[in-house]
Amino acid sequence: MGCALMGTLRIQPARFGALGSTAASGSWNHFDLQLAFYALALAIVGVLMAYTNSQGAPLESGSVFTRGLMWLAIALVLFTLAAAFDFRWLRTLAWPIYVGNLALLVLTLVIGSGTGGVSRWVTLGGLQFQFSELAKILMAIVLANYLSGRRDKLKSLTTILGAAVIAGPPLALVLLQPDLGTSLVFGAMLFGTLFLVGASARWLLVAAGLVMAMLPVAWEFVLKDYQRARLISFLEPAADPLGSGYQLIQAQIAVGSGGLFGKGLTNGTQTQLDYLPVQATDFVGATLAEELGFVGGVVILLLFSALLWRVLLVGWRSRDTFGLAFAGAVASMILFQLLVNFGMVMGIMPITGIPLPFITHGGASLTSIALGLGILQSISMRQGRQSW
Amino acid sequence: MSDIALGETTPRTPLWPRFAVFGVIILLVVGALGARLFTLQIANGGYYAGLARGNSLTLQPVRSARGLVFDRTGRQLVDNVPTFAVKIRPAELPLAERPQVVARLATLLDMPASEITEAIDSAAGNRFELARVTGDVPTDVARIIAEQRLSLPGVEIAVEARRNYLFGPLVSQVLGFTGSVTPEELEALGSLGYLNDDVIGKQGVERSFEEVLRGSYGVEEVERDARGEVVRVRRTLADPEPGNSLELTIDVDIQADAEKAMKWAMDIVGLERGVVIVMNPQTGEVLAMVSLPTYDDNLFARGIDSQQYQDLLEARGGPLKNYAISENFPPGSTYKLVTGAGALADGEITDQTKLVSRPYLTIGSTKYYEWNRQGWGPIDIYDGFGHSSDTFFYQVAGMLGMDRLAYWGDQFGFGTRTGVDLPNEVPGILPTTEWKQRVFNLPVYPGEVYQAGIGQGYDTFTPLQVLNAYTAMINGGDLFRPQVVRRVLAPDGSVVQDFEPDLIRKLPIDPDVFRIMRQASRRVLTLYHTYNLVDLPLVLGGKTGTAEFGVRDAQGDLRYHSWFVGFVAKDPEKRASDPNGMQTIARDDSELAVLAFAYDSRTRGNAATEVVKYFLQMHYELDVDLRLRSLLSREPSP
Repeated sequence: MGCALMGTLRIQPARFGALGSTAASGSWNHFDLQLAFYALALAIVGVLMAYTNSQGAPLESGSVFTRGLMWLAIALVLFTLAAAFDFRWLRTLAWPIYVGNLALLVLTLVIGSGTGGVSRWVTLGGLQFQFSELAKILMAIVLANYLSGRRDKLKSLTTILGAAVIAGPPLALVLLQPDLGTSLVFGAMLFGTLFLVGASARWLLVAAGLVMAMLPVAWEFVLKDYQRARLISFLEPAADPLGSGYQLIQAQIAVGSGGLFGKGLTNGTQTQLDYLPVQATDFVGATLAEELGFVGGVVILLLFSALLWRVLLVGWRSRDTFGLAFAGAVASMILFQLLVNFGMVMGIMPITGIPLPFITHGGASLTSIALGLGILQSISMRQGRQSW
Repeated sequence: MSDIALGETTPRTPLWPRFAVFGVIILLVVGALGARLFTLQIANGGYYAGLARGNSLTLQPVRSARGLVFDRTGRQLVDNVPTFAVKIRPAELPLAERPQVVARLATLLDMPASEITEAIDSAAGNRFELARVTGDVPTDVARIIAEQRLSLPGVEIAVEARRNYLFGPLVSQVLGFTGSVTPEELEALGSLGYLNDDVIGKQGVERSFEEVLRGSYGVEEVERDARGEVVRVRRTLADPEPGNSLELTIDVDIQADAEKAMKWAMDIVGLERGVVIVMNPQTGEVLAMVSLPTYDDNLFARGIDSQQYQDLLEARGGPLKNYAISENFPPGSTYKLVTGAGALADGEITDQTKLVSRPYLTIGSTKYYEWNRQGWGPIDIYDGFGHSSDTFFYQVAGMLGMDRLAYWGDQFGFGTRTGVDLPNEVPGILPTTEWKQRVFNLPVYPGEVYQAGIGQGYDTFTPLQVLNAYTAMINGGDLFRPQVVRRVLAPDGSVVQDFEPDLIRKLPIDPDVFRIMRQASRRVLTLYHTYNLVDLPLVLGGKTGTAEFGVRDAQGDLRYHSWFVGFVAKDPEKRASDPNGMQTIARDDSELAVLAFAYDSRTRGNAATEVVKYFLQMHYELDVDLRLRSLLSREPSP
């Protein structure tokens, strides 16, 4: 993969000149088919998982499967619209977007609902929507715009601090829901984006060190009891096999019992007999591994790798810092969520509510990623433009 | 970095290390996830597959239908009725909710909360197995409980088969009953496939033939979801085999007559306890076994509550015990069979030998009285037995000595369990010099030999032992093991096992001796020792017993039980050619022997004899009624 990436990197610059200028409508010739293919493949796997998690009645209205299909359709439309949309307008709209983003997150806190005294979802027309998912993409836009504006001072500490100040309010609002997982995603996106655009490695290290140093404080003052219990049970799942450790143990059994080829769709005993908790959402990775096996799991990992490669490639090819930063944010988001969610179901990451991109059933997650990838396509299609 | 910002035409070459690092991180993440995936699914796949199977697949027993019980004429005595039972899976009942759930159940089931708690806590096995709270729950209550599943976590309604004893108290002492298996029983039987919430035979043939009746449970592999609900049956590993049925030797009609006869006397006298046993001397089959007072075994089958059980425990006479086999009583004069037959067998006397019966015998300064304090002068074994002369048998016992007497007692089966196919039989006490030495560290005194010779002193036996000894005399020397079960039948009615007469031993006694004793038994009647019993239009022999027990009261009188053992000749009509019936009774082919035992019956006459008389009148459908109520008045009699 590394070699492939490097090989591609050497070839691509030669083509830039030839591609020349592109009209504001963009060039569909520069639509990244591979990126779209990998994303669609992953989204289809997600729909398969929705099918298998429909409790034996996938075709009934309102089943996980039919809703998954509906969200996939919405996501495809959003993706296409975003690709057609000239991403340069986003720079103009960045600050309204930022304010709107904060407003949605505040709205979530005020009227949102969730299980166990949290407010994560806003119900609109019978559909639950998690604005914190959308907030990731919106923040990526604002962040990319900010970094683009500071393209001459990327190495300075002020840039890092400024980016942190921009990411701070939405992160804090998400943390208040409380949704530690999503706020961690925000943090990872911030860090990954700054790293990729070439921010001062020294100051990034210092910042990382500071975050590490803050962990004990966070343990004491930020984490809720259930979050602490999850972390403890992550470190020692057998300590409370029917309590916090239950999900971890059952998830690992699900994954492990999948074997090489898996038990087949809808045949996973752990999934179908409800041993596996929240199998359609947080633990969908376990269902996948149980029913599709090692082969299925490796295919998913390869699809993610290929997608990330295409995302980074858009960043590499883009002629301005906005595209670079946006690609870095999207790649960081996907990579972090993949690591934490898939790692969680296999017992190497603590339990958090972070969705597995594409696969986890949930309209907000899928449509937000579609939006992000659509913007990336827009960047890819208009990368030939030399000026605003 | 200005080149980037301006660099629409500039490659991002200066940033390639950042991209490279990012790429490496992607590789590390994907590699780590892939490695973990490999570890779980390939390296340890088998282990986790096993865990997943253990999660969802469990072996579940399939209960078999318990076998039925019929009497010897084919009448069904027990039925299996489907009923609702309430069970609790303790693991699914959170401790915090337990008080509310138990209280709610107690209200619904109308039973004390303490009993529900006890049922949960005393259940054997692990917390994931069902504990049975109660059975025979009314349908509407069962429906309410089933509908309130959510507020009654861990509580389940199960359909189970309950025993319905069609004749209730009439045959309960033989039939017994089933009940919930106790933790101790489960401990002992666990390997035999008994379940936490299983039922098991507790008494009677339900217990002694538990293995036959139970059949064998099947096993099926079922898939359960995380809530423990069975989703589907994957495969059947073993089909359940219904239990086999029993055909008893008991005849319900004979049983009913025997019970009626004893109840009649008990009501008049106010007796505490009574036993009637009817046997076929030719086979050892028990045709009736009545022990009163008794209980309704349906109480137990339905699930007896603690108050009912307490009432039974405290009821007068102790209805839960089968006094025919589970308690020892002094046999009194019925034991003179052993003394007489033993002395004849040993040649100490012949049927010509006459011994002088007198008001009393003396050993040292102690007088050993004749029962009527007069005696009958010189008499032979016929009259000695006929009058039930104590002084005659004191002398005979003296000739035999303690151990020879005990030897013959042992030969007749005394002091050893008969081996009847019922639980809780006691062996009795047959004293010997060795026994006396061992238990009391004392030698046997001559007076004790006298006492033993007339069935008093230390000798105590069960009514069944007494009757069984007589059947050996009646049939000419075969001591059979008494049986209450005749055949084992398969569910389709075919015979699985036929219990042949089971000979314990052939007594080493000349048949003539038994003939003498049978004729002597006839003499008991012809001498009017048993009042008008001889007037029954049947040829029968018998022997009375009056057995003192306990301690003397203020008047110096002892309480006593009365016994009577009778046997009817096979062809019992009286013949002119045999006016006394002596020829008829000499035969050894009688097929009906009956014993009555009246506990603590201080009556003018022998109450047991009246019971047997009444029984025979009913059994042979005689159109005479010779019962003498006056004999049943509570008066001290010598």
